[in-house]
Amino acid sequence: MYDLIVIGAGPGGYEAAGHAGKMGKKVALIEKGRMGGTCLNVGCIPAKTFLRSSKLFHECKEAAKYGVRLGSVEFDMPAVVERKNRVVGTLTKGVEGMLKRAGVEVIAGHARLISRGAVEVGAARYEAANILLATGSRPAAPPIPGIRSEGVLDSDTVFALTHVPEKVAIIGGGYIGLEFACFFNEVGAKVSVYEMLPQIAAGCDLEISTRMLQIMKRAGIEFNLSAKVLGIEGNTIRYQVADGAQSSASADCILNSTGRAPVVDGLGLEELGVDFTPKGVKTSDLGKTNVAGVWACGDVTGRRMLAHAATREGIVAVNNMFGKKDRIRYQAIPAVVYTHPEVASVGRTEEELKTMGIEYKKSVVPMAVAGRFLVEHEGGTGMVKVLAGARFGEILGVHAIGDASSEFIIAAAIMVETEMCVSDVSEIVFPHPTVSEALREAILGVH
Amino acid sequence: MATPVEVPKLGNTVEECLIAKWRKHKGEQVSAGEVVAEIETDKATFEVTSPADGTVLETFFDEGALVPVFTNLFVIGAPGENIDAFRPKGAAAPAVELAAPAATPDAPKVERQVARPAPPAPSGSLSPRARRFAAEHDFHPAAVAGSGPAGRVLEDDLRQQYYESPRVSSLANKRIAEGLEIGGEGSGTGGMVLSSDLVLSATRMSGIRATIARRMRESLATTAQYTLHTSANAGGLLLLRAKIKASTGVPDININDLVTFCAIQALLAVPDVNVEFIDGKVYKHREIHIGFACDTPRGLMVPVVRDAHTLTAGQLSVKMKELTAQTVQGTVSPDDLSGATFTVSNLGGLGIESFTPVLNPPQVAILGVDSIQLKPVRREGRIEFIDAIGLSITFDHQVIDGAPGARFLKVVKEKIENVESICTI
Repeated sequence: MYDLIVIGAGPGGYEAAGHAGKMGKKVALIEKGRMGGTCLNVGCIPAKTFLRSSKLFHECKEAAKYGVRLGSVEFDMPAVVERKNRVVGTLTKGVEGMLKRAGVEVIAGHARLISRGAVEVGAARYEAANILLATGSRPAAPPIPGIRSEGVLDSDTVFALTHVPEKVAIIGGGYIGLEFACFFNEVGAKVSVYEMLPQIAAGCDLEISTRMLQIMKRAGIEFNLSAKVLGIEGNTIRYQVADGAQSSASADCILNSTGRAPVVDGLGLEELGVDFTPKGVKTSDLGKTNVAGVWACGDVTGRRMLAHAATREGIVAVNNMFGKKDRIRYQAIPAVVYTHPEVASVGRTEEELKTMGIEYKKSVVPMAVAGRFLVEHEGGTGMVKVLAGARFGEILGVHAIGDASSEFIIAAAIMVETEMCVSDVSEIVFPHPTVSEALREAILGVH
Repeated sequence: MATPVEVPKLGNTVEECLIAKWRKHKGEQVSAGEVVAEIETDKATFEVTSPADGTVLETFFDEGALVPVFTNLFVIGAPGENIDAFRPKGAAAPAVELAAPAATPDAPKVERQVARPAPPAPSGSLSPRARRFAAEHDFHPAAVAGSGPAGRVLEDDLRQQYYESPRVSSLANKRIAEGLEIGGEGSGTGGMVLSSDLVLSATRMSGIRATIARRMRESLATTAQYTLHTSANAGGLLLLRAKIKASTGVPDININDLVTFCAIQALLAVPDVNVEFIDGKVYKHREIHIGFACDTPRGLMVPVVRDAHTLTAGQLSVKMKELTAQTVQGTVSPDDLSGATFTVSNLGGLGIESFTPVLNPPQVAILGVDSIQLKPVRREGRIEFIDAIGLSITFDHQVIDGAPGARFLKVVKEKIENVESICTI
């Protein structure tokens, strides 16, 4: 009998298991695939290693701008994949080591709930006082004829590519599609993005996503917005644009990046009466499902679908199941898109504030107000946008585009989380010269 | 010489008063006759003035405190005089008020809960290090129990309170300054109080309100109330009222005065209603003391016209207007707020067509006066509309059964319908 069985070893599940283990609880972690889940194996980490290589390749080609002359520069795809595997391996081992030190028992196999306190893995049966569902998500396959055909890659299979394709068609202009668009574009492929909506990076502050679109177009990526993909046959995509006209295009690599769907099937949730839809398992802010003793965190809940949100949700659930009061707050969870340049944000977008009828003041400054940004990014562009309450000046949202914004967005997250006001930030010293000074300038620019 | 000022005894039944407001604070200059405090009995508000020119040396109680009569309330004298001899036993332990914070336009982040701004007080009560701690941490609680000699606040006292106070976000602090209050545990990081944890401030019930609450509860708990509704032809009332308005040199008797006058005449005709029911005994009264419900900014109050049966309609009207003005202003004597044998409550002016007045025990009846409405009546086979005034009377069934109650109401109705013949102007 375990105190806790966690199903799924992604950043939601393994962190929760480790946390419970460190609390002295008897914990089992069941994983059917590889340790680390999507994040470590086919998500955040591999994508970022790919993007690091493509960025370096791009910078080498641009090195002359910085007064550095190089000979010929080549992109070695097999070596990039090899490095990615090494990084993933190191991190996976790190997770395994952490779980071992925390005393978590790892069980390989597919878990299925057979009661509110019992799980079946193959022929074995395990019992626990609490079960945490952390089964994550998988690439979604919308009802487009041909999208499931073998030639269409998704974010699970794209990392197996051993060569750089000549022409890449990306279906979906969300953050996954945009990151791959940057990667393929930088390593020399001709990239076309097909997005159903009139804008890219849905959910992002519109001013930021508009700038993002502009920068990426300038970098050579082709965008087809308001473009509905009707079908895929072999190497050809058929799509319809806003005015109803149909076109087709061919590419030697087609990537489906239309989003991710929670993994809610094959777990025995229906039989147990767990409240869920294809969009996820319903949870409270404490991580509880409607069934006592069954908890959920991460992508399977369909709430924020971010690795760090999953981790926090899992820890909240563990704290609550073992009597420590805790509650997830979503208002200050930062999000980063690792395109080139990066986009980082936290809090409300301007569109959300308008919809909610919240009075706000805003300030936008170019990244170039920070000397370090000019130093680091020859010809680079970007901006920081701050939204603050009209009356008290509390920081409601910070949205930035420009490299290194992923590293300083946490400062903005702390401001939002602790309800700091513009006047408070004026008392905080930002290191010079850093790109974070653009954040300071934007905040102090709120009047 | 330091002079203590007591809580005055404001009526025969008043045992304690609520400190409603300090108009002058410790350290302020006052002249003789100037108002220092507002105090409240369960019936009215009064002002306590300074007997002499001087400085307010000490105020012994906080606003909201309930203080027995004849207790020292504050001391007037010259700065530096010792007032310890006047300190009442019941007064709060001398918590030291901290000096008001120096004006800091924008307080730094993650402030501690800052209680209401403390009034200016001598800064000598803080040790220098405590003062520095307060300034550095922008921490200015309303009161800190000092552990130093003579209650002097030491740095450790402040530090301890600082770390025990809930952390409050900058935004929440700004909202608190606007009157919101911390509703419970903070939901932010480490229990930080966020703006979403704030609630509207609960306000302390005034003494008057608390008395109304208690009496209404007692009324419903100790009596068997029922209400009868009828209406009377108001044609006579309206004619008479029009006549009064058109006349000069007569008091401005209004509809409510006239209805009250009619109720008095009905009580004279049916003395069994002009009684009080106390401890199983029915006390009949020869005199009729009429209470009338009066809506004031402090809540419902019921001033009383004594010996109302001896007054003409004009005299009654003048007396009621006089008492109404005093009651609304809060200057009415507590003795004019008790002793009624029957009560009239008029909601007709607010358009109420019928209601259930709540008895004022030990009285056994209360007449509610409703608005005047058009009412169809059959007259010689034809339907006509008349102006009818609604009457809602509540009785205590312990003393007055339904039929006698209805008979009394019928008498009231007859008096109103014949008001022109019983009331001369």
